[in-house]
Amino acid sequence: MAALLEVKDLCKTYVINKRQNNVLKNVNFEVEDGEMVAIMGPSGSGKSTLLYTVSGMDEATSGQVCFDGQDITGLGANELAKLRLDEMGFIFQQMYMMKNLTILDNIVLPAMESKKTDESKKAKTLRGEELMRKLGIIEVADNDINEVSGGQLQRACICRSMINKPKILFADEPTGALNRTASNEVMDELVKLNEEGTTIIMVTHDAKVAAKCSRVMYIVDGNIKGEYVPIKDDSLQEKDRERQLNNWLMDLGW
Amino acid sequence: MLFGVLKREMKRKKTMNIIILLFVVLATMFVASGVNNVITVMNGTDYYLDKANVGDYVIITTSDDKDGSLQRMLETESAVKGYRMERVIYAAHKNISDKDGNELDCKNTLILQSIDESAINFFDKDNNKIESIEKGHIYVAGSFMKKNDLNEGDVIRINHSGVEMTFILDGMAKDALLGSDFMGNTRIILNDEDMEQLRENEMIYNEYQGRICYVDTDDVRAVATAVNQVSNVTFADGRSLIKMCYVMELIVAFIMLILSVCLIIVAVVVLKFSITFTISEEFREIGVMKAIGITNRKIRRLYITKYMLLSVIGAGIGFVGSIPFGNMLLKSVSENMVLGNDSALLINILSVPLVIGIIILFAYLCTAKIKKMSPIDAIRSGQTGERYKKKTVCRIGNSGRMGTAFFMGLNDILSSPRRFVTIIISFCICTLFVLIMVNTTATMKSDKLIYTFGTKSDLYVMDVSDAMEQMGSNTKEGMKQSLDEKADELAGLGMPAEFKAEIQYKYQAFFEGNGFTFTCQQGLNMQMSDYLFTEGVPPQNKYEIAITPQISELTGAKIGDVITINFGEETIECMVTAYFENMNSLGKTVRLHEDAPTDFKYISTILPYQIDFTDNPSEEEVELRKERIKEFYDSEEIMNAAEYCEYCVAVADTMVSVQFLLLAITLIVVLMVTMLMERTFITNEKSQIAILKAIGFKNSVIIKWQVCRFGMVALAAGILAACLSIPMTEICITPIFGMMGATNIDYKIEPLNIFLLYPGIVFAVTVAVAWITAAICTRTIKSSDTANIE
Repeated sequence: MAALLEVKDLCKTYVINKRQNNVLKNVNFEVEDGEMVAIMGPSGSGKSTLLYTVSGMDEATSGQVCFDGQDITGLGANELAKLRLDEMGFIFQQMYMMKNLTILDNIVLPAMESKKTDESKKAKTLRGEELMRKLGIIEVADNDINEVSGGQLQRACICRSMINKPKILFADEPTGALNRTASNEVMDELVKLNEEGTTIIMVTHDAKVAAKCSRVMYIVDGNIKGEYVPIKDDSLQEKDRERQLNNWLMDLGW
Repeated sequence: MLFGVLKREMKRKKTMNIIILLFVVLATMFVASGVNNVITVMNGTDYYLDKANVGDYVIITTSDDKDGSLQRMLETESAVKGYRMERVIYAAHKNISDKDGNELDCKNTLILQSIDESAINFFDKDNNKIESIEKGHIYVAGSFMKKNDLNEGDVIRINHSGVEMTFILDGMAKDALLGSDFMGNTRIILNDEDMEQLRENEMIYNEYQGRICYVDTDDVRAVATAVNQVSNVTFADGRSLIKMCYVMELIVAFIMLILSVCLIIVAVVVLKFSITFTISEEFREIGVMKAIGITNRKIRRLYITKYMLLSVIGAGIGFVGSIPFGNMLLKSVSENMVLGNDSALLINILSVPLVIGIIILFAYLCTAKIKKMSPIDAIRSGQTGERYKKKTVCRIGNSGRMGTAFFMGLNDILSSPRRFVTIIISFCICTLFVLIMVNTTATMKSDKLIYTFGTKSDLYVMDVSDAMEQMGSNTKEGMKQSLDEKADELAGLGMPAEFKAEIQYKYQAFFEGNGFTFTCQQGLNMQMSDYLFTEGVPPQNKYEIAITPQISELTGAKIGDVITINFGEETIECMVTAYFENMNSLGKTVRLHEDAPTDFKYISTILPYQIDFTDNPSEEEVELRKERIKEFYDSEEIMNAAEYCEYCVAVADTMVSVQFLLLAITLIVVLMVTMLMERTFITNEKSQIAILKAIGFKNSVIIKWQVCRFGMVALAAGILAACLSIPMTEICITPIFGMMGATNIDYKIEPLNIFLLYPGIVFAVTVAVAWITAAICTRTIKSSDTANIE
């Protein structure tokens, strides 16, 4: 399988009060098309920075990030914006949405801005509704964002991230602000999307969530300390997979 | 601890605090100078007339009281408590020239007077009393200097009845009696020795001497009745009329006053918005403080202390700024007047606690919400779950061809109308004022007011000195003949025309036992059908007259009543058949039928000659003929109807400067409001902007979204202001014209200026400022900030 995302010698350094803070230190990894990768690590290890840097939201200090064969580290702000709009989807821990738009309008907003297809506004709206139906939140389409639960809102964020049919979906602790039930629901949707072919890279603290992924990368002090690929055994229960992952994590000092 | 929180609060929201501080400065400046303007304007003319010692009643005669009638009246009339008299010499504009011998342009008759014999006080441009004038030096009215482009130190020549004298101009003199544009005479003040030199000339002594008498009285009406016995009176009226002559100056002052009030409203509205917005932004901090057990009182005290600090600093700066700002506002008004009030500084100082009080009150009211909320309410920014209210109005799917930026902008406005209505009101008030001024100025510069000054003609010849010179010896028939000769001259030049003139006489009149001296107007070569009457039937014969509402109010006479007029040789009982409006003599005029037995013995003044071409030339042709007539008469003062109106109103140019000053102030306010609001919105929407950037929106789209909102708001304010400008001009300006004698004003509306140019300027500035602010503020928000937003 071809690598959809290729990260080579990626470094990210912040300078705060003349003090240099090397957050990412020569990170190298690849993500193949259709993979679902979890990035784990202790707080301050550089997980989110890695996610933002590889998605073009933050600038790399050095190194290379190739997305779909294209080096995105040299792209300008507008080119990166277009890439994120058309080819990438984003889900965040906080379910940020435009306060004055309905749930459906928030979902279709990126589609309206995108010129990827020449679909009509109506067709884009129908696509948004279809996504909502798929994620089981169609009944809140016309609601304001403060009229729905956190789980519904995060599923709406997933719909928004999927509206432009991205090649890759970046999720930064997508279940971090949700209770267990809502968290499970959201994860189920992400797994379904991955099964349908969407590549997902997700930052999480939750081993239960990471256990659903096809690969887990463990990052400490800006370096990938290890990678975990669960054994493909259909007979294994979800709890068993979690236990195996936990064991691996504990070995790494989690 | 609270002090520490306050200190950090001030530092953390530096920009917001600076903007609020700026608004406090602005509010203090406007409150202080506005209140000062109110008092100065309200008492302006009285202050000036008192300072100049003008008295309660003024009589001007065109003779040196040779028959003693004036002196007799002053001594016998019991209502006269005291009087001051000054001797003057009359001259015409041809008697005064510059150092090269070029005649100087002056309005109506020139009055020469000695400073030593002066019964009133004159003031120089710095409002200092002119105590003495050196021999060979003179002071003239500021408007005269301006009109003739004269400067201090220039040489002025006077050549009167063979007496030739050269003077050095020492500067402008503010003349409380004759300095207003409505009084119209130009007074020249000189040294006593120079004055005596003029009087030594027999011709001047016998023919050109006159008197101005200032009477102190408590019974103006009794003095006015007694003045009927005085001969050769050219002007006799009370202080109220003299005050009214400054109405044009007062218009400008009133406009400044209303502007100040509006700006105070705008500043306070914006201030309230800022405080409310800032406090609502801080609900989370408030929640945290409550959660850890800080009492409501202490939390409120924290915010009130913050705004008190800002208001004290801002009001202090505003107080300092209010002094030059107030002076600047009054400068254009006080060109011809000594304006001011003795308690100006005290008022400025008092405005400081007023502004501080208002701000603390707002802060107190806005923080009242804190008391009612639980910590969780505060943390949830006031959204408890029970008070959900649908906000969204538009649907993106139904937005047609609208771009996303435009849609989001429109949706924001419709979703939070109250927030944007504040801005619309602020912008609308400011724009409306500019538009009212534009309408007023356009009307003053057009021929719309022509019927309030007489009749409409193709051209007006301002120089009537030839007729004025023969005033004493000429007759009505003689002048009629002279007008016909002038018409023949023009016909000889291929411009067939009728020459007309309106003559003002002073006649004694009686109604219901009371005596009056009226200014009566009668046209030569004019018919009653040329005039405009607002009510009744035009006079049909010499036994019928038309009066103005002002005369009706003064005498109590109505249509159908009979007023007895003493025409000298004949006394006629004239029935009032119509009302008309007239801005000459501030509306206190009577219109006589062309057959009324007037006599040049009673002439007061001759209004400009009017030319009506009989071959119906086009407007362009009239303009060409105007130039030819200028050449023919070697005079620049040939005007069309619009120019004549502008000349009569006199203050149109000042109004234009005020209009631009208003526009500048409006643009500054628009700039500040836009900057403040835009910044506030962006601070509030930081998370939304970051997420938009994260999901792939370009910065330009986000800027466009922000700009669209302000553009739409400015557009709405502009349209609203343009639509309101027409009725508001009538409501605000008609009463001012009414004071001058005209209430039926047909305003000149220039649609291009009202609906496009001025709202367009406000719109362009708003969009430009919104664009720059959005570009600066959104640039610092990054898509990766989604990880850091609280």
